[in-house]
Amino acid sequence: MTRYALTRLALLLVGLLVASLLIFFTLRVLPGDVAQLIAGTQGSPEQVAAIRERLGLDRPLWEQYFEWIGGVLRGDLGTSLVNGRSVGAELVQKAQVTVPLGLMSLLIALVFAVPLGVLSAVRRRRGAGTAMSVGAQTLAAVPVVWAGMMLVIVFAVWLGWLPAQGFPRTGWSTPWLAIRSLLLPAITIGIVEGAMLLRFVRSATMQAIGQDYVRTAAAKGLTKNQALLRHGLPNVGLSIITVLGLQVAGIIVGAVVIEQLFTLPGIGRMLVADVGGRDLVKVQGELLVLTGFVLIIGFLVDLVHRVLDPRQREAA
Amino acid sequence: MLRRTALLATAGLAAAALALSACTASPSPDSTGGEPDPDASLTVGLVLEPDNLDIRRTSGAALEQALIDNVYEGLVTRAPDDGNVIVPKLASDWEVSEDGLTYTFTIQEGVTFHNGEPLTVDDVVTSLTEVKDDESLQGHGDLAGVTSITAPDESTVEIVLAAPNIDFLFSLTGRAGLVFKAGDTTDMNNAENGTGPFTIADWTEGDSITLARYDDYWGEPAGVAEVVLQYIPDFTAGVNAALDGSVDVLTAVDATLAPQLDGTGFTLTTGETTDKGTLAFNNQRAPLDDPRVREALRLAIDHEALIEAQGAAETLYGPIPPLDPGYEDLSDVAPYDPERARELLADAGQEDLSLTLTIPAVYGTTVPTFLVSAFDDVGVELTVESVEFPTWLQDVYTNKDYDLSFVLHVEARDFGNFANPDYYFNYDNPEVQDLYARALATTDEDESDDLLRQAARIVSEEHAADWLYLGNTITAVGQGVSGFPVNSINVRLNLADVTVSRG
Repeated sequence: MTRYALTRLALLLVGLLVASLLIFFTLRVLPGDVAQLIAGTQGSPEQVAAIRERLGLDRPLWEQYFEWIGGVLRGDLGTSLVNGRSVGAELVQKAQVTVPLGLMSLLIALVFAVPLGVLSAVRRRRGAGTAMSVGAQTLAAVPVVWAGMMLVIVFAVWLGWLPAQGFPRTGWSTPWLAIRSLLLPAITIGIVEGAMLLRFVRSATMQAIGQDYVRTAAAKGLTKNQALLRHGLPNVGLSIITVLGLQVAGIIVGAVVIEQLFTLPGIGRMLVADVGGRDLVKVQGELLVLTGFVLIIGFLVDLVHRVLDPRQREAA
Repeated sequence: MLRRTALLATAGLAAAALALSACTASPSPDSTGGEPDPDASLTVGLVLEPDNLDIRRTSGAALEQALIDNVYEGLVTRAPDDGNVIVPKLASDWEVSEDGLTYTFTIQEGVTFHNGEPLTVDDVVTSLTEVKDDESLQGHGDLAGVTSITAPDESTVEIVLAAPNIDFLFSLTGRAGLVFKAGDTTDMNNAENGTGPFTIADWTEGDSITLARYDDYWGEPAGVAEVVLQYIPDFTAGVNAALDGSVDVLTAVDATLAPQLDGTGFTLTTGETTDKGTLAFNNQRAPLDDPRVREALRLAIDHEALIEAQGAAETLYGPIPPLDPGYEDLSDVAPYDPERARELLADAGQEDLSLTLTIPAVYGTTVPTFLVSAFDDVGVELTVESVEFPTWLQDVYTNKDYDLSFVLHVEARDFGNFANPDYYFNYDNPEVQDLYARALATTDEDESDDLLRQAARIVSEEHAADWLYLGNTITAVGQGVSGFPVNSINVRLNLADVTVSRG
């Protein structure tokens, strides 16, 4: 087990290093630069050159990369090229919107996908199961933006129950307002992500139903449903943990889109604005943190899976 | 005067066509009649957020909109709701010598910076001298012709020019004329120390800027205690914010969404701007170096129909909008005539023409879609390359690598771009350059207007570009809000006189 964990950890570190290289150098391929944007349409070439020098952008790329990655290793993500604010501090501030949004989305996805997924597998030969399956297929294909717009029209504009956009300026010191403003966005992401999860739960459950151990349990006197509940579902649970890593990545992408739509001051909206402003030091910090987060979740999922599933332990 | 009346009529027609509930070009009416509440907080929905607060070093209309006249002040400023005339600010009065070379400003008494320090003539001299000497400061170009900035006594500042420049005073209404405390060490990226009626109480990046009334302001104190500038980049989200009551005023309302606000307690105003929707032709690149091709492209565009599709706009057939000096109606120069366009293209041997339009994606799809079909009608195949703004800045603006380009030129009095052969238009006409130089050099305003008119006519007659439309700006003003500015609010949004009454 320890050996497995160490190997997996080494893989994680290599992954992070490769990610940092990819992020840094692909961003440099983007046309347009921050100095030109700061100088604007009245700026002379000399002015642009002066700004580039002031920001240290005239130095060789490798030098800039090592300076950045050196800082990252010391826990310093650098400062914004545009306003000099600390990238780490900005990320922490924006995480107060994005992290709760992500957790709420995940919770909503699980709450609606797991029971419905199991149910639609158990009832797969009846109308309800088929309807759920078709419904999930449809929902999973719906673009997040469209789902969000529909929810806004119904719950914010028609019914007036929830705010259509924005996050309270008072933040989490007014928890109820904060949660209210995150509810529609979280439902939007949760439904779309949940629909994908539902299909997965359904197929995992169907697989479990056909397994020998469930049939044996049924043969020993349990009803089919009891057998499934006691022996099949733990296996379905394991499969859900496996796809959780993918779900987290999906939720992050969803958050980037949804934060634009609902004007939420989170990491996603900041990322899009910083790409538009070519604030590359900030963008690379944001991307590295997001990528790192997904990679670490993947790492943890693998470890947990290993611990929980005796078959994998024995196979090692 | 006549011109202004005509404009009001045009604005009125545009608004009626949109079935808006109200339309005026004067400050919005007090809709409740209640007493203004001096402790009120006003939330204003805006579109473009500044990336930092450093108005001295960072370009962009978003900074000027939020900060000039509210937080920072210059010697003079402009009154967009009053024909963009120049009005006093930190200079209570000024005089221009007969030869147009010496400007003498009397500095307002009793002005303090937000940190409590008094304004002195030294602050004025230092601020302007820094802009003149440091090319990395915004507005540097505006002070290029200045030979000296001095303070003969404790209430007077004198600026001497090398040659007369009739636009000089107007350029001081922009960034070049802003006054900062000499030797100030404020981190201007994130904080401020201005003299305006508001201080910046908070800036939450990606969300809002909160302005708070400065109680020791030298002039009439601001009408509200607090203004929250709420940045909502998505137009639909903006309208939703107005509908669910999270903003009191929404600026830059999308014309197609405006009817949603009808009958909801909001009053819609339509303001004039100097936002010229400019279809630039790369004048040096074949086949656009042939005036017949450029003319054909202009004649292929039905401007009235485009404006109907676009909404909130008027026609403009030349480089100078009505708010700027030197305006003339040039609609006779390029009337919609696809038949003639086809003939011109045949004459030029360009019956099988393919061109590319480079357009920043922020401008949406209405304009490019319209142009593709208009040009297709005269046998020109148009490819649309939708790019990010930084890419446009690099490819089109800096490298001049383009056929056609579209951007909204919002700056007031920017005709000089057509007299600058290095500008991305690549338009080089010595006669225009000479007329423009003479228009600046004269001290007689009527003569200057006349010279600008001649130059603008030549530019339009040579089809150096096409002006697809002149933008109007729609603002939704909530109940109880009075005195909200109407015109050109995307570059200047003076909030000092806005009041809110509840009841």
